[in-house]
Amino acid sequence: MSAVQSAITTAEQQHRIYKAFDWVVIPIVILVITGAFHIHAMLTMGDWDFWIDWKDRRWWVTVTPISLIFFPAALHYLLWTNFRLPFGATLSCSVLLIGEWANRTANFVGWAYFPLNMVVPAEIIPMALCLDAILLISRSLTITGIIGSMVWGVIFYPSNWALIAPYHVPIEYNGVMMSVADLIGYNYVRTGTPEYIRIIEEGTLRTFGEDVTPVSAFFAGFISVFMYFIWLGIGAWFAKTTWAKRI
Amino acid sequence: MSTPSVEMGGDVSKSLVGWKRITVIILSVTVVMAAWRIYQQLFAWDMGMDSFEPEFQTYWMDLLYAQWIIEFTLAAVIWGYILKTRDKDVFNITPQEELRRYFTLLAYLVCYVFIVYWAASFFAEQDASWHQVTVRDTDFTPSHIVLFYGTMPAYILAGVAAFLYARTRLPQFAENISIPFVIAVVGPFMILPNVGLNEWGHTFWFMEELFTAPLHWGFVVLGWTALALGGLLIQIILRLIALTKLDDEVLVTEDMNDDGSSY
Repeated sequence: MSAVQSAITTAEQQHRIYKAFDWVVIPIVILVITGAFHIHAMLTMGDWDFWIDWKDRRWWVTVTPISLIFFPAALHYLLWTNFRLPFGATLSCSVLLIGEWANRTANFVGWAYFPLNMVVPAEIIPMALCLDAILLISRSLTITGIIGSMVWGVIFYPSNWALIAPYHVPIEYNGVMMSVADLIGYNYVRTGTPEYIRIIEEGTLRTFGEDVTPVSAFFAGFISVFMYFIWLGIGAWFAKTTWAKRI
Repeated sequence: MSTPSVEMGGDVSKSLVGWKRITVIILSVTVVMAAWRIYQQLFAWDMGMDSFEPEFQTYWMDLLYAQWIIEFTLAAVIWGYILKTRDKDVFNITPQEELRRYFTLLAYLVCYVFIVYWAASFFAEQDASWHQVTVRDTDFTPSHIVLFYGTMPAYILAGVAAFLYARTRLPQFAENISIPFVIAVVGPFMILPNVGLNEWGHTFWFMEELFTAPLHWGFVVLGWTALALGGLLIQIILRLIALTKLDDEVLVTEDMNDDGSSY
């Protein structure tokens, strides 16, 4: 193919075209990440995110950070290596939360009539900010993967302390001790009710006292490190600009 | 060199975004999605709980049939129009015309990803809220009729239209097939056939409604393919850089593997 001729002659035209491109491409990026990341999130960790009585010390703390680091890692590759933009995690987590809040209010509350405080999504922005900040400071995807991903997993639970604290207050109800979250869950019967489909606090965890949550958090961080590198590779694969004569 | 097939007048850098068409796209899609959502609000709980009732057939199955007829008709008309009006001299257009066509392609992509948002985010998670309060007795629930048979065919329609537009109007895409474009369209498209697996599983196991069940992970993997839009956008950007290069411009590149020691 012959050399491409330019369509313009002045720097002003060039600047105007670049701005026009930004106006169109930014909504495209935001919308596609919202859709793709949200369907990934809801089908890999959604149940823990939907319900306040699923936000436990074992599964929620472990599953959520591991599942959610996929897209930030892929976007780190795409946006950092190609454009030197260090906000892949914050961007993806922000638009995921917008998608989740739009759905929870319009559909979980507005259609299925669950109370809003039962279906509030988990707080994930602090983890994303840390991951992006470590990339920005280190300028290294490797350091971000090792340190940032561990921080990502470890701070998930503390980021949500303020959100879940009122619901973990113990109460006695008809002679049974439970949390406020449990009581809300029992009162709003779902198709999976009773307990068998609520995946929380399993195994011998309850005999381990107070160190359960930190152990779950560090385990989440540990796996998040591996997932970050795997998804850097997958992000690199999806960012390939391959052309083919035929498929 | 032969005469370019399309000569353009005026300053090509002006009005490239096409705010009018973008507004029409956003408003049109929003109106359709809002109509679906309002219909659900009005008729899902009263007429959509029991598929064996005659009301269900009237309010929900008839909606499903109407959707299918409209979708097939629109696909035939839109895809047929794009193919019928293809540029038969696509390798001989001016750089200005090619630039304009790239922004038209971006408008197609806005339409595509906006519908993807409604399908994969809004109506997909809405399906969870429905199944948390009702036990299904049909594959065609009020949430599925909108999600699987409404919004998903809609984004397939837009995605394939975008691909066909590029293939018939843009020299680079006409000469070769963009693999990331194929992945970004075919991957989400395959979510629709994956509904077959989903429904098969739901008629096999009672699992109302563990949304994270492995049965649903086909949707997850196919949803990842939307990331290939990143590769497509880079292809578009590389071409736009070439189309907007100034005569005296020196392209500045950065060593992406720098260790920061120069700072």
